[in-house]
Amino acid sequence: MVTVSLYHYLFVSTILFSLGIFGIVTRKNAVMVLMGIELILNAANINFVAFARYGNFGFQGQLMALFVIVLAAAEAAIALAIVLNIYKVFSSVNVDEIDRLKE
Amino acid sequence: MLTEFGKIFVFILIAILFVVVALIAAKIIRPARPTHEKLLTYECGENPEGSPWVKFNIRFYVVALIFLIFDVEVVLLIPWALVYQDYGFTGFAVGAIFLLLLGLGMAYEWRKGDLEWDRPHPIPPVLKKSETDSNLKIPKEEIEVV
Amino acid sequence: MEAPLKYIFDSIQYLKPEVAVSIFLAILVTVDLVLGKKNKQVLPYIALAGLVITGYFVTQQFGTSAFASVQHNIGNFGLIAVDSFGNYFKLIIILSSIFIVLFSISSIEIKQVFDRHGEYYSLIFGMMLGMMLMVSSADLILIYLSIELVSLSSYVLAGFTKQSLRNSEASLKYIIYGGTASGIMLFGISILYGIMGTTNLYAINTILQNGAFQPLALIISCILIFTGFGFKISAAPFHFWTPDVYEGAPIAITAYLSIASKAAGFALLIRFIKVTFIQTIGEDGYWQLLGVIDWKSFLIMISILTMTLGNFSALWQDNLKRMLAYSSIAHAGYMLLGLAVFSDQGVMAILIYFLIYLFMNLGAFFVVMLIANKIGSEEIDEYDGIAYKTPLLAVSLAVFLISLTGLPPTAGFIAKLYLFIALVDAKMIAVAIIALLNTVVSLYYYIRVLKHMFLTKPKVEGERITIGIADTVVLLAMLIPIFLFGLYFTPIVNFAKNSIALLGF
Repeated sequence: MVTVSLYHYLFVSTILFSLGIFGIVTRKNAVMVLMGIELILNAANINFVAFARYGNFGFQGQLMALFVIVLAAAEAAIALAIVLNIYKVFSSVNVDEIDRLKE
Repeated sequence: MLTEFGKIFVFILIAILFVVVALIAAKIIRPARPTHEKLLTYECGENPEGSPWVKFNIRFYVVALIFLIFDVEVVLLIPWALVYQDYGFTGFAVGAIFLLLLGLGMAYEWRKGDLEWDRPHPIPPVLKKSETDSNLKIPKEEIEVV
Repeated sequence: MEAPLKYIFDSIQYLKPEVAVSIFLAILVTVDLVLGKKNKQVLPYIALAGLVITGYFVTQQFGTSAFASVQHNIGNFGLIAVDSFGNYFKLIIILSSIFIVLFSISSIEIKQVFDRHGEYYSLIFGMMLGMMLMVSSADLILIYLSIELVSLSSYVLAGFTKQSLRNSEASLKYIIYGGTASGIMLFGISILYGIMGTTNLYAINTILQNGAFQPLALIISCILIFTGFGFKISAAPFHFWTPDVYEGAPIAITAYLSIASKAAGFALLIRFIKVTFIQTIGEDGYWQLLGVIDWKSFLIMISILTMTLGNFSALWQDNLKRMLAYSSIAHAGYMLLGLAVFSDQGVMAILIYFLIYLFMNLGAFFVVMLIANKIGSEEIDEYDGIAYKTPLLAVSLAVFLISLTGLPPTAGFIAKLYLFIALVDAKMIAVAIIALLNTVVSLYYYIRVLKHMFLTKPKVEGERITIGIADTVVLLAMLIPIFLFGLYFTPIVNFAKNSIALLGF
């Protein structure tokens, strides 16, 4: 009989983090890249809450998770607005095609 | 002895096997006589018209964004709502300032016209004298498309 | 009044500059809403008034050193450390903001989007608030939040003229790189929180002194956290965004990113490393860091990589803005060396460097902007023979570039001199020689611009470029300090010497 321990949470968060990095590196669609960034933020959130719960560190970690949720939403809103503008100007959201600034 | 997670793993394994075996068995046994009718997505429904990947109007997006921001800001109010009574009026005032700032954001969106659901105003075609035939009429329902 | 709230209200006296910025941010938004579509000319002057008032509060605060928002449960450490080190950087941020507002008044790019000026100035204030919190934050929560506040504002500002292809691309690249960097940093912060059980830097230092921690996890988390700092100061492995964003963004914003955002990043990095990892400060001013992470070799490696990469990439740039972007990467490399010395002298060299870098880099960007206003381009080929069309601008650009190279009698020489003195005093001769060689390389690409301006015949004969009186005054306000501090540098050296004290050390 195994109870869910801190390591299970850390395992999940590490997988999420790696998936996020993988998504950012491999995806060409700008929206998919942004989803990768969201995954990273959520991985950190899992860490914060799990550490706060299992380490008996008080509420700092859970508070941080709240802030991160709000910031992630704000960042997503701004990022999507920028992607929308990119689509208007370039007619594409492929990050490989948006490459005019080069030496 | 299996652990709790081991049981879940065995359960998932059996579920996958069940589906795969059933599909492969069906593939081997069943006769295959495809016709055009049979290959349609909905065999006895309407024929599909156009692509299912409809582009949604951009105005939905703006409203969704505004909703998202205000929806998430409410998260910050929850810790405050739990404790503000312990601090009397100052506790209330602190939250009120936060709400005031949110209200400023709302006023900003309102003033800048982001909350307007601006309908397109198509200019009705101006008919020339010669075209003003008795049986020529402007289809009303096409103008009212939002 | 109950206790926790009382501590918060008690600390407002230390937060006057931040409160002033927040109030003026709200005022700017409100005025913009009331004015509607016309009368936007008043907004920059409100912004300037706000900046002057904030600057007044900061100067009032010099000499104070105290914690704001104290958390009593972890040993009376606070969220915000108010000290002269932070105040020095706040002054740099405010000074550069004043210049940026003045730039924006005369920038054609910004004028074209006159109906969104309210957003422009409020975003600048939002960015400023974030940077002022960044330079004084002593808690990982506030570090992350303030970095995000700065980043979110600057993502929008980088793509402010939405129709322009360059602007849009710059903001997309900025938000993808920036979001990734800050996400990785947050993951590092979460691990560090897990090891230490607290987010306060001073409390972490106490735990580290006692030596109860996991070394491997600590190293991993610190490397992840460094990603965020490295992104902000555009240090070598995290510099990819810099050239594209600097080239694409409106020039006023590029100048702002290259000074204020970088200054805030450096202040945060210095505070993070010093407060978290310090063991003792010796009599001679050298810091003894805890031996868990070899920050010294790490920083020296990063800084040499940064300056070499920046300087050598700048050699073959045809766009002046892009060249200045690479040059700013190189300068970040020089300044990182000042930190790698790990002494009070090194920090003093960074402080002097930043004050002088403010004038010379902003000046260079200002001249590029004024010329781009007229000829609509920043390509170096377009600068052929421009000295004959506008002698004042050409000569000032020459002075700024010579100062960036670090030749006497300009102030840039003093900045480099103090940096090299700190390096030699710390017996880092080999590193000093590498930095010197880099300076020689940088001479080539700065002088190349001068050659185009003064020695090449223009391809087409254009009319003379004239600038207004207001622009001339702003230009002189940056030109005079270059010579003044180049010859009479005692005041800034004393000022920097008095400002190296971090709270608690």
